Amino acid sequence: MNYKKYFPIFKKQPNLHYLDSGATALKPQVVIDKMVEYYTDYSANIHRGLYPISERATEEYELAREKVAKFINAKMEEIIFTSGTTDSINLVARAMGLKKDDEVVVEIEAHHSNFVVWQQLGKIVFEITKNTKILAITHVSNVLGQINDIKSIIEQARKINPEIVVVVDGAQAVAHMPVDVTDLDCDFYAFSGHKMYGPTGVGVLYTKAKRQLEMEPAKFGGGMIKTVSTSESTWANGPEKFEAGTPPIAEVIGLGEAIDFINEIGFEEIQKHEKELTEYLLEKIGEINWIKILGSRENKLGLVAMYSDDPKMGTSHDIADILGRDFNVCVRAGHHCAMPLHTKFGIETGTVRASLGIYNTREDIDELIKGLSKTWMIFTKK
Amino acid sequence: MDDLYKEIILDHYQNPNHRGKLIDGIEAGEVNMSCGDSLKISVKIEEDKIVDAKFDGGGCAISMAAVDMLLDKVIGMKLTDVKKMSGAEIEEIMGVELTPSRKKCAYLGLEVLKKIEI
Ligand SMILES: Cc1ncc(COP(=O)(O)O)c(C=O)c1O
Repeated sequence: MNYKKYFPIFKKQPNLHYLDSGATALKPQVVIDKMVEYYTDYSANIHRGLYPISERATEEYELAREKVAKFINAKMEEIIFTSGTTDSINLVARAMGLKKDDEVVVEIEAHHSNFVVWQQLGKIVFEITKNTKILAITHVSNVLGQINDIKSIIEQARKINPEIVVVVDGAQAVAHMPVDVTDLDCDFYAFSGHKMYGPTGVGVLYTKAKRQLEMEPAKFGGGMIKTVSTSESTWANGPEKFEAGTPPIAEVIGLGEAIDFINEIGFEEIQKHEKELTEYLLEKIGEINWIKILGSRENKLGLVAMYSDDPKMGTSHDIADILGRDFNVCVRAGHHCAMPLHTKFGIETGTVRASLGIYNTREDIDELIKGLSKTWMIFTKK
Repeated sequence: MDDLYKEIILDHYQNPNHRGKLIDGIEAGEVNMSCGDSLKISVKIEEDKIVDAKFDGGGCAISMAAVDMLLDKVIGMKLTDVKKMSGAEIEEIMGVELTPSRKKCAYLGLEVLKKIEI
């Protein structure tokens, strides 16, 4: 099945070979239309207006919350809208009142957004003990592409420390596999709209109801209060307490539509399509002897980081430049916001990452392989 | 033949003239985080003039070729004149026009030289 027809960018650029969905996914027409519809038909602010278009905006906004909740098997009140994964994780750190000597267990493979914030506001460690306050883990690594068995990691962690607060970075998971936060039994689950065919500027923080009660607001202003007097203020109940100010309304509504888009195709089909392509990608890259793959080939989503350890073959930056310029193959070069991981593997100049989305075809991978052959020709002066 | 990865650029990248470190040179360094280039340059200066220079580090072909070609040019020049050089001159030396993201790579060597303090 070719899903390119749902994505208008391919009408303008039929030869675009987009292999950077790990950075951000392309947008289907239905998501764009849904946002345009908000701006053209009912672009009012939410929650405050008593007139029809504001009522409609509020309904659509809350409907999106309901869609997100169903999508990850949570309750509606447990869904907080943020500006993205980074914002979601920062919110956890601040709202949980993290202190400099609070121990946070992090992973070497973490994206900087699930690493630097803990390093700055808490004390990072690599082993769970009774003193650990927070466990910050990654559902799917944005460099290795591996699906981590976080359910058993969480179970193990709770055995050592029942009070541990588990924060999951799900940015690379949600568009590619079904996620059930209730089954995972995590306290927080963060992801971004733009990596799941939705708009930029909106993200989600799932907060287990019990934890939400422990959280203090991290931002103050309109929309998050119950009462305000000159001497004190009280906070709204539920997710609103953490959504100060006018939220990204169009983006939230667009995200709701992106979820409908995913559901309509269905994870069964998404996984089948992407798995087939991932196998093809791994097979083709495996045939190139100067390219190596970071991490294992097992349990991998469609995300592959590669590098060459021949010092005469250029770095990730050179390879990505040639792929982009000559083949319109879009891949990412560098550390992919995971410097500690690259340092661990001793690949200081980064890797080339190809990542798949529902719109990719074998032809996109063939073009990537052609580009890699050309890179080889250039650097070997053939 | 590729427009950017010309023979001469590849030669400087793969067989540089100035790789290494000067034992009693003055040193400066910089990193280009967007792609993982890291560069150190050591220079020997006599009467305001650069009499020798070497670079060390790792990075993409463009940044490494650019610094090697730049050092070819600046050895024999006054440091004060080198510090007046512009990015456009790097592209001239290399004989290529660069996209904004590759300018960052190619200009890295000059940036480091500008940090050298006598
Ligand atoms: C695993 C992972 N975590 C977090 C992020 C950060 O997402 P955002 O930039 O949308 O906040 C990304 C995306 O770059 C990611 O891949």
